[in-house]
Order: sequence, then structure tokens, then C-alpha cells
Amino acid sequence: MSAWKYKRITSKVIVAKMKLIDIKDLAGMVRGSFDQVHSMLMNTPYQQDISKIPPEQLSSGTLESVLSRNFARTFNEIMDSSPKDIRRLLSTVQMKFEANAVKAMLRAKKADLGVDDTMRYITPVGRIGEGECRELLSKSANTEDLIKALSDMYEYGAILKEKSTAYKETGDLLMLETALDKHAYYKIWKASGKLGGLDKRIARTVLEIEIDSINIRVILRCKALGISENQIKNYIIPVSEFFNEKVFEDSIKAVDIKSSIETMHVAARQRMAKDHRYMLNDILKEYEHSLSLSQLETVLDHSLLKTNLRMLKRYTPFFNIGLILAFLNLKWFEIRNLRTIIKGTESKISSSRIKRLLIIPD
Amino acid sequence: MSVDLTAVHPTRLELLRLKRRRGIAQGIVDILKKDYDTLVMALFDLVRQVPSLRSKMRDTLAEAYTSFIEAQMIVGSRMIEEVSLVCEPVDLDIESSVGKKVLGLELPVLQFTEKTVTHNPRFNILDTPAKLDESNQKIVEALDYIIKLAEAEASMKEILDVMSVKKRQINRIQYKVLPQLDASIRYVELILEETERQDAIRVRVLQRKRKERAQKTVQISA
Repeated sequence: MSAWKYKRITSKVIVAKMKLIDIKDLAGMVRGSFDQVHSMLMNTPYQQDISKIPPEQLSSGTLESVLSRNFARTFNEIMDSSPKDIRRLLSTVQMKFEANAVKAMLRAKKADLGVDDTMRYITPVGRIGEGECRELLSKSANTEDLIKALSDMYEYGAILKEKSTAYKETGDLLMLETALDKHAYYKIWKASGKLGGLDKRIARTVLEIEIDSINIRVILRCKALGISENQIKNYIIPVSEFFNEKVFEDSIKAVDIKSSIETMHVAARQRMAKDHRYMLNDILKEYEHSLSLSQLETVLDHSLLKTNLRMLKRYTPFFNIGLILAFLNLKWFEIRNLRTIIKGTESKISSSRIKRLLIIPD
Repeated sequence: MSVDLTAVHPTRLELLRLKRRRGIAQGIVDILKKDYDTLVMALFDLVRQVPSLRSKMRDTLAEAYTSFIEAQMIVGSRMIEEVSLVCEPVDLDIESSVGKKVLGLELPVLQFTEKTVTHNPRFNILDTPAKLDESNQKIVEALDYIIKLAEAEASMKEILDVMSVKKRQINRIQYKVLPQLDASIRYVELILEETERQDAIRVRVLQRKRKERAQKTVQISA
């Protein structure tokens, strides 16, 4: 491990981390009205972005959009200041946001939306900038055209082309969306393997928890919706070292949601997957308590954040990728919390209900 | 109330016939009143169901909207809007059939059916929270209550229609047929009493005349 290569990024991340909104301030926002939240946000680092919104356009939607753009910008700044190998990983992590932009374009094309209307749903990120999006949307008349246009510019086109025959037959966009998501996460996983030493260990742990929490979410929700076992398998991203396809298969075959969680919990214990065990302990406890899948999702998100922060405690908090990943996740959850507060206060949801949906580190 | 008594034959046979008719009419009124009471009870059962169905519907809709807003809070309103652009609509249908009978009256039964077969999740699981499924499920549940309310309302309308017919029948018999029959009976009874009285006088006169004739015959012979 070379501490020298982190000289720039560590200080940058520490400064950026200090700029994150304090939990006490978030709690204050929860109790306020929409206008109060807006005023409070004007005293945060988001002030510059928010002040660009014309007063007549101020709504939860425009604020969400501004926050997403802020996250994309912060991500880019961190990525640009990172050492080469970490930059490579972060640029693949960015693919999941790029995949979101591609999915938004596909959905808008299927719904036959115009370019300007579609741009409302897209947060330009990474290689998919606003100009590129507009160009792609304007030169394609339908979803098939968009897939062709994407093939000329990005790797996503090739992925979508593979599924386009099946898409033409069924018209099921979910198939294309799943292919994009899977591709992004496979690439991220592959890129994390290229790191070395402690960085690899930390990145793999964090990303494994992230990908497996997605898999757990998919299995449990599909089981609750009564989706067939074969169909559930199509949505799984089996990259994890601890949870192989067999574990997921057993979990899918379990009679109910609780036994499905228990199956994975036993597998985590047998494979000595400490972080997975912590996560599954939490969700098992929560499910026994609330029997609610939405609460489980909050616990899964919370587990991801806890894993990130645990990495900082387990290893040194400086001079490794742990701090960068932890900061990016903290920033992501801050954006998510702000979105929750903004929409909640706008819809006059009680503060206790808003608080329940926040992902706040312990 | 005027009764045309000219058509009534003031005979004992007619009186018996009228009394029998009155008895039957009274019996019909009693049966109709019992039917009416049964219908009232069925109506009250339905009326009692309506507020509870309505409050269940309101609660379920409130839960559905809250879950929907919470889904927007988690992933953002734009994402939910974006996902809804391509989301397949739920194929719903209402089957109508005839259900339980009250006094032979067939009340409508409305059955809510969701035709959508769930091969795939309706929304991308990675982009949407479980709250959206909950909201979706609650909306379907609320629709079920709305259909049940419609069924109760249709049944109430049906029962009220029959009740108004029964009420008219009861009123007609009670305030028209029975008074007419009573008047006819009274008329026949009066005529028969009058005839009896005349007959009695006639008998007495005849007896007196027979007595006088007998006395005369005795005097002549003496």
C-alpha cells in the first residue's frame, strides 16, 4: 500500500466529507415545512445549485434534479482526483448511473416523449452528457432506433442489441433494463478485481454487499409478488464470492420470505461472511419485527452504509479506497435523505414517517 | 271513499263470499307486511355495511397514497414518473352475477377480477422501492372495496324498488280493498237485517190475521 498516491484524494475527500450536512441539521429539516427546508438548504453547499432554480419552478422535482446533478459533479471531482487504478474503478461505478440515463431514454422513447420532456428524467453523467443524450434522442424515432444509435456510441448498444430480438417479440422493456443493470454491475465487479491489496479487499467487501443487497431485494420482492423461480433467476447478479448461484437458488426455492432470508443467513454463517451475516442478522430481525418488505429495503440500505463505515474502522480510515467509497455512499445517502425530506415536507408527511425513511449512520 | 253497492247482491251467500274475501285480503296484508319487514331488515343489513366499507375504502386509499408518496420520497418523484411511462396498466374486470336471494329477490353480486398475469414484476426492482408494490396492492384492495360498495348500492336500490311495490300493494289492500269489502259487508248485513225485520213483521201480521180469521170462524159456527 502506497500512502503517497492518496495524498491528493484523501485531503479532498476529508474536506468534502466535512461539508456533508450534519445529522442534527437533517433532523431540523424533517420538522420544518417545505419552504423552511428550502431556506435551510440555502445555508448548505447546495446553495449555489439551488439558487439557480427560478422561484416559480421551485418544487420537489426541480430540487431532486439539482441534487442529482450535484452528486454527479461531486462524483466526477472525486474520480478526477483519484489515483489511476481507483479512477478506473470509479469510472465503472459511474456506469450504473449511465445505465440509469440509458434506461430513462429507452423508457421515454417507448412512451414517445419529446427530447425536452425526456431530458427532465435524465441526469447527465460520465460519458453520457446532455449533448449526447439530445443527439441520441433526436436521431432516433423509436426504441429500436435508439438501440442502433447507442451501438455506434457506447457499449450499452451491444448489450441491448443482444436482447433486441426478444424485445421485438415481447415488447418487454424490463428485459433491456435488466440487461443494462447486470452489465454495469458485472463491469464494476470485474474492475474491483483489478485493484490490489487492501483496496481490493475493501472495494470487494463494499461492492459485494451492495450487489448482494440488490440480489436479496430482488429475491424477496419477486417472491412476495409471486414471480416464478426461473424468472427470478434472470434478475439475479451472481458475482458474489460468498453467495454463489446455489445459495440464491436455494433462497429462491424457499417456501416463504422468512425462510428465504434464513437460507441466506445460514449460507453466510457457513462461509464465514462476516459482513453478510451482520446484514442478514439485521434484516431477519427487522422482518420478524415488521413483516414489511419496505422496511427491509431501508435496513438493506442502512447495512450498506454501515459496511462502508465499518471498513473505515476495520482498516485505517486514510490512504485506501475505503474513505473514498464511504464518502461517495455517504454523499449518495445524503442526497437520498434530502430527497426524502423535500418530498415528505412538500406532501406534508409527518416527521416521524419521514424519519423512518432516512438512512442515517448510527 | 265511494263504493258501488248496486253491483253487490245482498244475499247471505254474497255475505259469506265477501267475508271470505275479506279474510283472504287481510291474510295477504299480513304476508305483505312480513315481506316488507324482511326487506327492511335486509336493507338495514346493507345500510350497516356501507359505512364500514366506506371507511375501509378510505383507509386503504389513504394507505395507498401514503405508500406512493413514500415511494416518491425514496427514489424521487421523477423516477416514479419515469417508470410509470412504460408500466403496463393493470387489466381489471368486473364480473356481474346473481347472488343471494331475499324473498326470492335476486341481489346482484359484483366480482372484481385482476386479469394481469404476473410473469414479470410490473416495475424495475432496482429502480423502485417495495413501497410502490405496496401502493399498487393497496389500490387494487381499495378497488375491491369500491366494487363491494357498488354491489351494496345496487342491492339497496333493488330492495328499495321491491319495498315500494310492496308498500303500494299493502296500501291498496289496506286502504282500498278492505274498506270496500267492509262497506259491502255492512251493506249486505243491513239489507239482510232489514229483510229479516220485514219478514218478522209479515209473519206477525199473518199470524194476527190467521188468529182473527180463526175467531171469526168460531163465532159463525157458534
